[in-house]
Amino acid sequence: MYLQRLKLIQFKNYTEQEVEFSERLNCLVGKNGMGKTNLLDAIYYLCMCKSYFSVQDRNAVQYGESFFRVEGDFLKKEKKHRIVAKVIPQKRKIVSLNEKPYKRLSEHIGLLPIVLIAPDDTMLIREGSEERRRFLDQSLSQINPTYLEQLIIYNRVLKQRNAALKQLFAVGSRDKTLVESYNQQLLKPSAYIFETRRTFLEIFNPIFKKYYKEISKGAEQAECVYKSMLWENEMSVLLQENFEKDYYLQRTTKGIHRDDLVFTLNKKPLKRFASQGQMKSYILALKLTQFELLKKEKGVTPILLLDDIFDKLDKYRVEHLLNLLLEKKDGQIFITDTHENRVEQIIQGFNTDYCKFVVVEGKIEL
Amino acid sequence: MEFSSKLLEKTIDVFASLPGIGRKSALRLALHLLKIDTDSVQEFTTAITNMKTHIRSCQRCHNISDNPVCHICEDARRDKSLICVVENIKDVMAIESTAQYKGLYHILGGIISPIEGVGPSDLTIDSLLQRIQEQEVKEIIMAISPTIEGDTTIFYISKKIKNLPIKVSTLARGISFGGELQYADELTLGRSIVTRIPYKSE
Ligand SMILES: Nc1ncnc2c1ncn2[C@@H]1O[C@H](COP(=O)(O)OP(=O)(O)OP(=O)(O)O)[C@@H](O)[C@H]1O
Ligand SMILES: [Mg+2]
Ligand SMILES: [Zn+2]
Repeated sequence: MYLQRLKLIQFKNYTEQEVEFSERLNCLVGKNGMGKTNLLDAIYYLCMCKSYFSVQDRNAVQYGESFFRVEGDFLKKEKKHRIVAKVIPQKRKIVSLNEKPYKRLSEHIGLLPIVLIAPDDTMLIREGSEERRRFLDQSLSQINPTYLEQLIIYNRVLKQRNAALKQLFAVGSRDKTLVESYNQQLLKPSAYIFETRRTFLEIFNPIFKKYYKEISKGAEQAECVYKSMLWENEMSVLLQENFEKDYYLQRTTKGIHRDDLVFTLNKKPLKRFASQGQMKSYILALKLTQFELLKKEKGVTPILLLDDIFDKLDKYRVEHLLNLLLEKKDGQIFITDTHENRVEQIIQGFNTDYCKFVVVEGKIEL
Repeated sequence: MEFSSKLLEKTIDVFASLPGIGRKSALRLALHLLKIDTDSVQEFTTAITNMKTHIRSCQRCHNISDNPVCHICEDARRDKSLICVVENIKDVMAIESTAQYKGLYHILGGIISPIEGVGPSDLTIDSLLQRIQEQEVKEIIMAISPTIEGDTTIFYISKKIKNLPIKVSTLARGISFGGELQYADELTLGRSIVTRIPYKSE
């Protein structure tokens, strides 16, 4: 599967740009702030119906404009998939496949699997649990449409339940009937999400261990431990037992929306002791595992976006990584770098088809 | 656009404030009213004013009505042991047009959605519970959209009446109700009311 052609209109710093790509390897080079990451984000948008970096669509609209449009032709299993996203923030968002608009955006997720590796991915380790749930959800919603559907339901019911708790508290009422309706509605999605995350980590860890070893060249055992309140208790029990607490705090304190991943090396939590280098290797291994699992589950090789990879790895490791990726016969890769020739020098060592693009202030020069 | 008359402009503004009417159509309507004779225009204004000042909602079912109790509730041929609970007036019209249903209605005036500030007390749920206690009701049909908020509303009401000897049923899934009910075709809608299924909360 690969992206043949991309057309951007008023997407971030691209006013209007059309470009054709190699089906194997594409290098985007240019100085800081020229638009390399923005281009990767546009590709990500076509696959996931949202930006990798911001939940708000208005941040992707060129300053001073009211809409953006991203169009891409993907070739998947010899069939052309033309995806068009036309977005007027807070008004309209239409994503279409071969001229046919989706009724729900969630139907599109997973059609064109994608993995992006970005420099600020270290947030995954340093920040709160939300980032790590996002990582899980990114993988699972591309693999399993039912997961995405149940997650959307869960989040919606949760929001309603929290609003209901606020209202109860405001009027000083203890009528539990409405909250109990929400409790009931949360049971099925929580059980499904817990079960899916649990089994996902079972297949994730063996592959992850292997990648970490390979990248770090170390002997440590890496493992992601799935942490959830649902290991010990049923959701129905958690909600019932914590009604008083939820009532006073005016929000739902227990449930899979509090799940986390504990990243460990030799069974010790990474957060506390890991070196910069270990963290970089860890994140790269996480992402490559995501890549491999998506590939396995979807039956196509995901598009891989490697943003500022030299920020994470030295020249020899990049070479090693590309070797690893390119020895497989298929898959499209995008790499960005601030050095004009660094990637090219490495790639010339391989016998592979590639294109180089120079990005200059929202314009692409071949 | 510049108009030579402020009076015309005001009329256009008013029409254009209606749903589905843009300024072009508004202009066309206003010019048309200017052309026809004054009596016919009077007919319009009286009809609208009368509707607005005299229409009320039925004390029992909250449907729109000219009298304290609407003609559906008054109709002696209708089965008073059966109440179909719907979100709004449009849903009643859609179900009536199927000619398959001979019971009464209860219009909630929305569905429960605390995010949008709509709690149970903002709807006519208390009045429904009262009706059930006063009337000989055997069955309640929940004709409410199969959305998250619809499910909440159905669950909430059925919880409130769970100690009463009343059957609760819902319409078969797959047909859209609520706001989209008017678009459901009459045959499917009619059939789904006849073949309604008992409601189970679990
Ligand atoms: N909505 C927007 N409208 C216009 N320009 C924008 C918008 N959002 C970001 N930009 C501009 O895009 C530029 C950043 O682009 P991008 O992050 O793609 O750079 P980059 O080439 O990846 O740089 P680096 O090498 O530093 O990572 C900034 O100059 C920023 O002002
Ligand atoms: Mg960048
Ligand atoms: Zn009535």
